[in-house]
This record gives sequence, structure tokens and C-alpha cells, in this order.
Amino acid sequence: MTAFPDVPASSVATLSVLRSALNVALRGKPEVIERVLACLLARGHVLLEDRPGLGKTTLAKALAAAVGGVFSRVQCTPDLLPGDITGFSVFNQKTREFEFQPGPVFADVLLADEINRTTPRTQSALLEAMAERQVTVDNVRHKLHDGFFVIATQNPIDHHGTYPLPEAQLDRFAMKLSIGYPDKQNERDMLSAAVGKPDGRDELPRQAVMPAVLVGLQEQVAAVAVASAVQDYLIDLATAVRNHPKVPHGLSPRGLLTWQRVAQAWAFLAGRPFVTPDDVKLVAQPVLCVRFGPNVPTDVIPSVLSTVPVPVYPR
Amino acid sequence: MGRDLPARVITVVLMAVAYVTCEVAAHADGRPGAFGLAFGGLLLTAAVMLAVFVRRPVHPKQRLPWKWTLCLGLGFILPLACEPFVRQLLGEGFPLELQVVNALRTLGLLLAGLAAWPRLRRLSAVVSLFLALFASAMGDQPAIPYLLMAFAVCGGLWLILDHRAGTGEPVAVRGEVVKRVKLRLPYREALVFAVLAMAAVAVVIAGPKRVMLTLGELVPTSGGTGDTDPFARYGVGNGPEEVAGDNAKTAGMVESDKVIEDNKDALVDVVSDLYGPPHKPRKELERLVAGGLAEVIQNHGKLPDNRKPSRDFDTSRKGPGDSRKPTSSSAARGRYEVEGRTPLHIRMITYIRYLAEERRWEQGRKPGSRLLEHTGGEWMEVRGMQPGNWYADDDHHRLKVADATDNVVPTPPNLARVRIQRVDKAEYYDWEYEGVLSLSGRKKTPPGVVVNTDCHTLDPGVLPAESFPTVGFNPAYVDVPESLTIDLTRIADKWAGHLPRGWSQVHAVLAKLRAEYSLDRQARAPEHHSHPVLWFLEESHRGPDYLFASAATLLLRSLGYPARFCLGYYAHPDKYDPATQHTPVSDDDLHLWPEVLLRDGQWLVVEPTPGYEVLPALKPWTERLADTLAFLGEWASRNAVWLSAAAALLGLTVVFRRRLADAIVTQTWRLFPGRTWRVQALRAMKLLERRAVLAGQRRQAGETLTEWVGRLPNSDAALSQLRSLAEWAAYAPSSPASDPPAVAVCQQAVRCWPYRRFRGGSA
Repeated sequence: MTAFPDVPASSVATLSVLRSALNVALRGKPEVIERVLACLLARGHVLLEDRPGLGKTTLAKALAAAVGGVFSRVQCTPDLLPGDITGFSVFNQKTREFEFQPGPVFADVLLADEINRTTPRTQSALLEAMAERQVTVDNVRHKLHDGFFVIATQNPIDHHGTYPLPEAQLDRFAMKLSIGYPDKQNERDMLSAAVGKPDGRDELPRQAVMPAVLVGLQEQVAAVAVASAVQDYLIDLATAVRNHPKVPHGLSPRGLLTWQRVAQAWAFLAGRPFVTPDDVKLVAQPVLCVRFGPNVPTDVIPSVLSTVPVPVYPR
Repeated sequence: MGRDLPARVITVVLMAVAYVTCEVAAHADGRPGAFGLAFGGLLLTAAVMLAVFVRRPVHPKQRLPWKWTLCLGLGFILPLACEPFVRQLLGEGFPLELQVVNALRTLGLLLAGLAAWPRLRRLSAVVSLFLALFASAMGDQPAIPYLLMAFAVCGGLWLILDHRAGTGEPVAVRGEVVKRVKLRLPYREALVFAVLAMAAVAVVIAGPKRVMLTLGELVPTSGGTGDTDPFARYGVGNGPEEVAGDNAKTAGMVESDKVIEDNKDALVDVVSDLYGPPHKPRKELERLVAGGLAEVIQNHGKLPDNRKPSRDFDTSRKGPGDSRKPTSSSAARGRYEVEGRTPLHIRMITYIRYLAEERRWEQGRKPGSRLLEHTGGEWMEVRGMQPGNWYADDDHHRLKVADATDNVVPTPPNLARVRIQRVDKAEYYDWEYEGVLSLSGRKKTPPGVVVNTDCHTLDPGVLPAESFPTVGFNPAYVDVPESLTIDLTRIADKWAGHLPRGWSQVHAVLAKLRAEYSLDRQARAPEHHSHPVLWFLEESHRGPDYLFASAATLLLRSLGYPARFCLGYYAHPDKYDPATQHTPVSDDDLHLWPEVLLRDGQWLVVEPTPGYEVLPALKPWTERLADTLAFLGEWASRNAVWLSAAAALLGLTVVFRRRLADAIVTQTWRLFPGRTWRVQALRAMKLLERRAVLAGQRRQAGETLTEWVGRLPNSDAALSQLRSLAEWAAYAPSSPASDPPAVAVCQQAVRCWPYRRFRGGSA
């Protein structure tokens, strides 16, 4: 048999360190951590949607600390302007020239907290940055960091003074995650850990991976093999979603590309150099629900996954 | 029920119309068979129940449950499988293509019943359309155009309602995708087709003739041979032997070139050939029994009055000679072909008075009162006195004229109705004698004519005494020559005088003759003996059938029963040809018998000659069913060993069907495990999946291998290893680096996961 290289051991070790750091920061949610890591490795952006106080910001900050590099945070408010995110040009009296002052988007990890509280105009400022990893200010294009990664959070229950994200914006996210309440044991551990800390702040994890290493991991993920049968399966699923009577907007080709990339990342995290239909199915829920919006019933995705035949044997 | 209920109902109606159309077209007389209609009624009821009560599938492309699939399969196969038994039960059968049409009709009605499935609904419509087209091409009955009109109306409605039902269906099914179909040339199918076509050509060209004949039998109504299937219809109206009429199955043309007068076939020659010439023919009666005046005139010109032939029958004959000439110049195997129950007496000439001095029977006269009326369709009904209440069910016969000697229409006794294609006016017919029908104005009944008849049947034992009239008939029917009166009365009284009047007396006379007298066609009365009948009764006790018939007739007359003497043909059951399901009637079957007049004007055939029987009363269907069951039982007992073996084999196959299937797929895998590791892994995984299917643990369509393996109880490392290897084989560009050899993994998994383990047992 011809040997095929498995996932390198160094990559596995790096991922293990990163996984451990995040699991310490957010206790009892390994599945959420795994999906966030898949999103990170797939060079996608993640939208965390959950009730207040469940650890969205904690997870974002911990991830930013673990992957290192520049971390920025934007607290989105209704009076936030696009320039407040992308940066703006200021006239320098000394040099008699306009100088570009980079905004928080020029970072490796950007935390956009409560993103649905800012106006659509400001939300749209992130479109170019998330999709093309660049911003254009005063007709000048500014390239963002290679590992640019957006973690946005939003509160699903308090709708007063909020602006739901438009479809175009949602399509830029790779997945939407909910964290949920921790179980009893993890809450007890959390309470115990808070004893003796006067400011009540969590300790951020130490940097677990260098930005260059992260980029290397992302390149390895992109090289994970996807068989034509699996690609056919992906297309079948996308077609089924598009034809589903309860789904108003089908999956875009960009969404399909993102789905494949996330499935690659999931296979990589499992230590497998190729994608299986299991990978596709396991990441379907977070990838699809960010694109479906709130009006699509929750049973749509399971029903699609259970009816589209899984390819095993060559036709 | 949903909005498709009207579409379901119209589908059933459409199929029912097609069913009836086929049933009508399948019967040449245009009268659907009671069995077919009853069976169709049952099926129709079932179809309606199904159409109304079967639930609509969740989505239009949902798979049909296996039980319905089984029903559809049985619906197609059972009519074909039951055909031999139906033939046995009813004595009727269908050629192969009609059997297939019958099977299609059953299948179509079941499909209509399952019209809740749109695909089956449309398939049923296609089947009904085919059946309607088939019936229109095959049948020419008057009802066919009306039925096709009804079909067209229903078809239009069906299109509207089906479209309306279809508009409510989603274009795409929830969660279902339209599979991408790779466009490729059907090399494999083309290869199979080419091989089959070449094999068929080779068989036709180089195979034995029987193979070709069998292939031709597939479409018997278009010219089948009838050799391999006795029920196959020979080409209607176009067979090469159609006119010659020597095949019992030919039918059709009335007019033909074969209507040639042939004096050599006249009845007089036949009778003389069979019984020998009279001892003393009178000069003026060179032909004592003639085939008809017209032939003689045609061949010899107008005869003087003293040379006119007579049809009288001489009872003083020399007996048959040693060198009998061929009885017919035709290629036909007989004068007539009889389809239906036998024995059957076919009257030709009846005789009324016995002239003792001339030792001959005087032929009867044309009756004036019996009527024939057109009663609808192409049937002519015999009108006359009200039939008595002693008759059983009417019996149906088809008599085909192959090579007639005169213009008599061959019919069974006690005729109720008759049909000769479109010859459906009373003036086309004539009563030659009482109960003897002929074609008016014709010299011969043309070959190829098929006479359909219904006749009354009865069991003489049930006849009451008053059914034999004492007054109100022609006195000639009780006339006994004075010279014979004393002797015949003495004998009759001795034999039956002590019995009450009625069938018992008649039966006593017949029984005496049948028991104590023997048939001898060579026997002849001495030339000097004045009364051959008395010679027969008192001296020889043996003689030809005309002496039996003469003696019986005169003895019955002596007892006061109106009786007559008949010449005709006897369709002998021993001559029944199972290949054609017909009984040929030839000149050797010429026969004479007595008949007794009944009160309702019908003549009761009685048979004093040993070896000859009378057509028994038609049994009701319950008795026939019992006979069929008895036949089946007898057949089963004859083949008990084979049947038991087959039943045991079938039972074992059914009981162990899953293990059998498992053994087959396992052996197939062992024979063809695959050459590359990838094929080996996938084939082994497929084998396990098949075992799981047999055990009811099928992997669902949307289920991955990992999910399926995780769902199985007692899933172990061997299975997981094979699953992992199969995933590599299916999705990875290359093989895993460090796993054990694929063959070992496959064999381990196949060994650890036998069929019974999937059912919950242990390895």
C-alpha cells in the first residue's frame, strides 16, 4: 500500500497545547472549543451568540491570548462609526500630510463585542475586512494581518436598540456557535477558582502558538484531501438545502467553500489527512445555521442530513 | 385523502373500462366470460378499497412498501400460474399473449388501487392505455367502439385530474436532492443487448424448427402455429390452411373457393361405404341415401322423376366391403371439428316411418312451425314451445365445418340458440327436418364456417312421466308396421311392460339392448329374411348400429312413445385431440340412433348401441369445482414425492432465506475479494452491510459508516478497523501508512461479524 502522510506530530502537539489553554479558560465546553479551533484553522470567522455572561468574551479573549499577536476589541454601540473600526486619515500639521491612523481591525484577533448593537453602516465596514482581509480608506487599500480572525458576539434575547446582521454580513462568518450553561461540576470549579481573586478577573492563557505557526497550520488544513465523492456529497447537501421549501435563502457558493474548508479543518483536528462525510455532517449545523437566519426551523438541517445518501461505494 | 382522491378514483375507473374492453375483445362472441367478469369484479372491489383507504405517501417519491411490491408481483404472476388450472376447470383457455394481457390487467387494477403513489397512478394509466389499444386492435365486437369511447372520455378526465393532483405536490422533496447523473454511453447494456440479439438470431437461424415455432407462438393471434400452445389462435383470416379447414383452430371465412360441389363426398356414398349397399336397390332409387338433390342435378343434369334420389335408409344391407375408398378428397382430418363437451350427436337426416315391406326408413319432412329469431348480437334463437323445466344448464359448443357433405348446419340436439358470424337473419336458415338446421339456398355448408351453439342439457333420469306425450303429435311417430306389431309388442311388453310409463320404460328397453346385444358392423341380415329388425332382435342378437336404432325406435313406438330414427355423426370422446382441444368428426363416426319426443317438442336422444353414450347434463360449477379439486388431488397424489420434495425445498428456502442469501454473498466475496487493497476493503464492507440488511440492521441513506458502526450493538475493534480502512479506501487519495494489511483486516471483520451477530447473536 502506498503510504500517505498523516498529520505531522508537531502540528498535533501545537493543537493540543492550544486546545488545553482554551479548555482552561472556558471550562466544560470542549465541543465549542473544538469548533472554534476548526474555524480558526479554516481561516473563517466565528459568531458567538448566546445569553449574557456565558463566557463569549472570555472565550474570545482567551483565544486571542493563546494565538498571540495583536489583539483588538471593539465594543459596538449605536454611535460607532466605520472609521472607528477601519481607521481614518488625520492631517499632520508638521508634515503637512494626511496620515492613516489604523483602527482596531489591524490586528490578528478582533473581538467585536455585541456586534448587533452597532448600525448596519458600521457592520458593513467589516465586510471587506472579513472577506478579503483588507480595508480601503480614502481610496487606499490597507492589507490586514495574514491570520486576521474576527470573533463577534451578539445577544439573542435583548433586541431593543439592535440591528440584526444582514445576510451578506452573516455569509462572511464561517460559523455561529452557542456556548450554553456549564454543568454543575464545571460551575463548582469555576467558583472555586474565583475565590481569592479580588478583581474577579480570569487569568488569560499564555501564548500557545506563534502567528507564523498558525499560518502554517492553516496551510496544512487547506491541503487536506477531499475526495470527489465527498465533494459530490457536499453539492448534494447544498442542493437539498437550496431546494428545501422552508429555507428562503439557499447556501451560497462562498458558503459551500467555507463548509468544505471547515470540514477539512475538522478532519485535521481529528488527525486525518482526508475528509469523510462524517466531517461534513459534524460541522453542518454551525456552518449552515449562521446563514439560515432565525426564521428557519431547527429540524431542517437534521432532516437534510438524514435524507441525502452518503456516498461510500463507487457508483 | 387529499386533493388527489378524484385522480385516484378516475384511475380505477379508467383501468376498469380497459379491463372490460379486453374481456369483451378476448371472447369471439362478444360475451364476456362469467369467470373473467367475476374475477374482475373482485379485483375491482379490491382496487377501489385500496384507492380509497391506502394513505398517501409522505412525499411522491417515497419507496413503495415491500408488501405492496409483493402484491403487485403476485398480481402479475398468479394469472399466468393459474392458467393450467383454469383450463382444467372451465375447459377454456387463452393463448400466451392473452395470458400476458390478463396478467397485465390484474397488475393494472392493483396499480390503480395504489394510485396514491403518483408514479403508480401514471403507470396504471399507461397499462390501461396499452390494454385499450390491444383490445381495439384485436376485437371487432360491436361493443368495442363504445367501450373505447368511454375509455377516451375517462382518459381525458384522468389527464385533468392527474394534473390537478400534481400541482399540489412540491417540485422538490424536502431534504431530497436531484442526483447528478453522469452522462455516459450505456456500454454494458448495449453489450448485453447485442449478445441477446445475436443469440436470438442464432436460435432462429440455426435452432431446431420447434424453437422457431415456439417463438412464433408468442404472438399467436398474429399467426401462431398452435403447435406448442393448444389455445393459441391460428392467424385469423390469413392462415395458409384457413380455407382448407383441416386445422381445428382455423376460423373465419364463409365464402371461399373451396365451396365446390363434389359428388363423391355425397352422404349416400358415405353411408354405403360404411354400411354397405342395400341388398335390392330399386332401379328408380339408385341412391337410397343421398347427399342432396342439387348435387345430382348439377352433375347429371335434370333427372327424370323416377330417377330422383331419395334419402330413405335401407335396413337390409350387404355389409361393408373389404376395400373401402378414401372417405374424403379434402386435406381435412374430418367433416367437422367439435369444441366443447362430448359425446355429441349431430343430426343429418331424421326418419319418420318404417316401411317393413321395403325394409327401409322413410325420411322425415320439413317442419313448418319451428322458428328461428334474431335476438340481438349475432345469435339466432330457436322459438317454439316453452322448454320443459327438466333441463340443466345450457352447454356451449363450437362446431367447425371442415368438409361438409351438404348444407346442414351441424348442431347438437336440444338446440337453444345458434350463431354463425354475421349470418344473423332467419331467412338465411331453413329447417331441413325437425331439429336439423340447414343453410337456405346453399348446396353445401362452406368449409371454415364456425357454428356457435347453446343447447339444453338434461339428465333423463329426472324426466317425469308426463314429459312423454301421449297425444298431440304426428301419429306417424308411433307407427309400427302391421307385420311387426305383434312381435314387437310382445318383446316390448316382456322387457318393459311391467314398469310404469316414463323414463323407466324407455331406459329398460335401452338397457336391454345395450346389455344383451352386441355391436357388429359386419353382421347383416340374410337376404331372404323379410324383417331385419326381427332377425336382429330374435336371432342374431348382434348387428350394426342402424339395427339397434331401428329396433329401439320400433319397440318404443310399441310402448306408445313417439320416437324417430336419426342418421348423423357422433363426436366420440375417444377421438378428443388434447393438442387442439377439439374432437374431429369423420365419416367413420357416421351413426344412427333413436330419439324420443318430449312434451315440449324437443327430441330426446337415446342410445341403445353399446359403446355409444349421450351428452350428460351440464354440471353446476360446484360439481365442476369438486371435479377439478379431485383432479388436482389425484395429480398431487401421483406426484406426491416430487411435490413433497419441492414443498420441503421451498419451505427450507423460505425459512433459511436469509442464511442462504448470506451464504451466497459470502461465497461471492470469497471468490472475488478484489485485487487492490481499496477494492478489498470496500467489498468486505459491502458484504457486512449486506449481512446487516439481511438481519434488519440496514445502514440508512443519510448514515455514514461511522454512525452505522457506532449504532450496531457490540461493535468491536475488528469492525472499527474495517470501517476505518473502508473510509480510507473510499475517501483518501492513498492508503494508511501504518495499518495492518487490508486482507487481514477484511478477513478478521468478516469472520467476527457473521450474519447471526448482526441479529444480536454472538460471533
